[in-house]
Amino acid sequence: MMNDNKQTRLALVVLTATFALLAVAFSLDLFGKIAPVHELPLVDRELLKTETWRRSYADLVRSKAELDDFDCYTCHEKGKKPVLKYDDKQQLIIPDEHSDVVMGHGTHGRNNNCFNCHDDENLEQLQPRDGRALKFEQSTMLCGSCHGPTYRDWEAGMHGRTSGYWNRTKEGTEQGKFDGPFKKQDCVNCHNPHSPKFPGRQPAPPPNYLREKTPSDSSHTSH
Amino acid sequence: MNRRGFLRSSAVFGVGAAALAASLKPLLELKDFSSMEKFLQKYYREMTPADMEKVLTRITHEVERQYGLRPHVQDLKPMDGVSFVYALNLTRCIGCRKCVHACVAENNQSRSPEIQYIRVLKMPHGSLDIEKSEHDYNPEKVPEKGFFYMPVQCQQCKKPPCVKVCPVHATWQEDDGIVAIDYDWCIGCRYCMAACPYGARHFNFTKPLIPKDRLNPEMAYLGNRPRTQGVTEKCHFCIQRTRAGRYPACLEVCPAGARKFGNILDPESEVSKILATKRVFIQLKEDLGTSPRFFYYFDV
Repeated sequence: MMNDNKQTRLALVVLTATFALLAVAFSLDLFGKIAPVHELPLVDRELLKTETWRRSYADLVRSKAELDDFDCYTCHEKGKKPVLKYDDKQQLIIPDEHSDVVMGHGTHGRNNNCFNCHDDENLEQLQPRDGRALKFEQSTMLCGSCHGPTYRDWEAGMHGRTSGYWNRTKEGTEQGKFDGPFKKQDCVNCHNPHSPKFPGRQPAPPPNYLREKTPSDSSHTSH
Repeated sequence: MNRRGFLRSSAVFGVGAAALAASLKPLLELKDFSSMEKFLQKYYREMTPADMEKVLTRITHEVERQYGLRPHVQDLKPMDGVSFVYALNLTRCIGCRKCVHACVAENNQSRSPEIQYIRVLKMPHGSLDIEKSEHDYNPEKVPEKGFFYMPVQCQQCKKPPCVKVCPVHATWQEDDGIVAIDYDWCIGCRYCMAACPYGARHFNFTKPLIPKDRLNPEMAYLGNRPRTQGVTEKCHFCIQRTRAGRYPACLEVCPAGARKFGNILDPESEVSKILATKRVFIQLKEDLGTSPRFFYYFDV
């Protein structure tokens, strides 16, 4: 009996001591504090925008923007074909008035004649090889006259940007709760027709590490 | 018991009680125990519509209290005759990472520490070796010569290893193919993270931090509602958008049109046509037999 009591007391003392030690440890943060999360810089909202980086002529007409730049006959003379000038390497000399045009369509600089696409008899028109006359708004059809497979893919929604609803409202039916219109872009919304290859751009910020990289981390990545 | 004995034992008892209380102090730091209602909430797949209604109201109030903004929380169900597939054109991807950040903004991921569902791998031409890839590239301009870029996110496998290992069935595959997580059922064991061969699952080690003005109020229960500390999350094909018929956020922001999404059961959809006509496509780590719904292809 006496023995039991002693053991109980011993256990109680040990328990009290343990809790007291833990209490001291916690209040003095002896185990170390949880490192506070340092706030990372937020990403620029510009990066979240879904607009295309160019605006097509059709967009400009729709938004009723200034179209003075497309008024060819304020400078050119009607009924007179403009004459193209080439240097001794057969490269097109771009006149100062059109210095914003960078010729880079096709490889080896062979697509160097403005009137492959523009109509020299009516500068406000485009001319595909099949003899049609197209307005600037219809430029996608002009691109399609050479880039057949890409045009076919674009028509099916496989090439180019899409937005809106994957669940498109069927023609002739009313829009329901879970369907709606779907939008494709024109070629020139993304590609500069004079230099269609995408220019390089700055990438959005890379992921941040939870801790600083140590030398041993970087030795694993191949460069 | 005499007076001295009583005083001594009560003093010892007092010290003991105080020590016990102090030593339980870490419990005070337990956050996110918001309500008994949440604690007693039923499993997602056992809830009646009335139960769900209550849960959505609770979430609405919680978000409103925390962020000062009234969200629109829905529980969207899979559509009939819809099976989602994602296709990504590796010829077109320029590695700009806009998709990564559009996803974070759409899906209310933690900004600090950072959780991102999409990881863009930069790989040298002529290989598809993830060992040779880099995901923290930061050159002045992309794309860089001699490299291609491969964004990796949840592949929504038809045989998902993450679902197999979950001990509490907090993650499962829905009828439209999306592998969903019930954040209120997840116990945070992170088995799924270990099982996933794509590194697609992410864990909230701390309470997620989302600035109030960056919160997306259009929410879904299985989708982008704010998560708590201690649960796993991952890409869910923007459930709050795609189950309402819209395209995912990463697709709409892609400046190169490299991302394509749709219903594979509809022969007129973009993805059906891509898988039917494009010659080369890959399922990442196909040899593991996970059978992803995410296809990579090239323009050939």
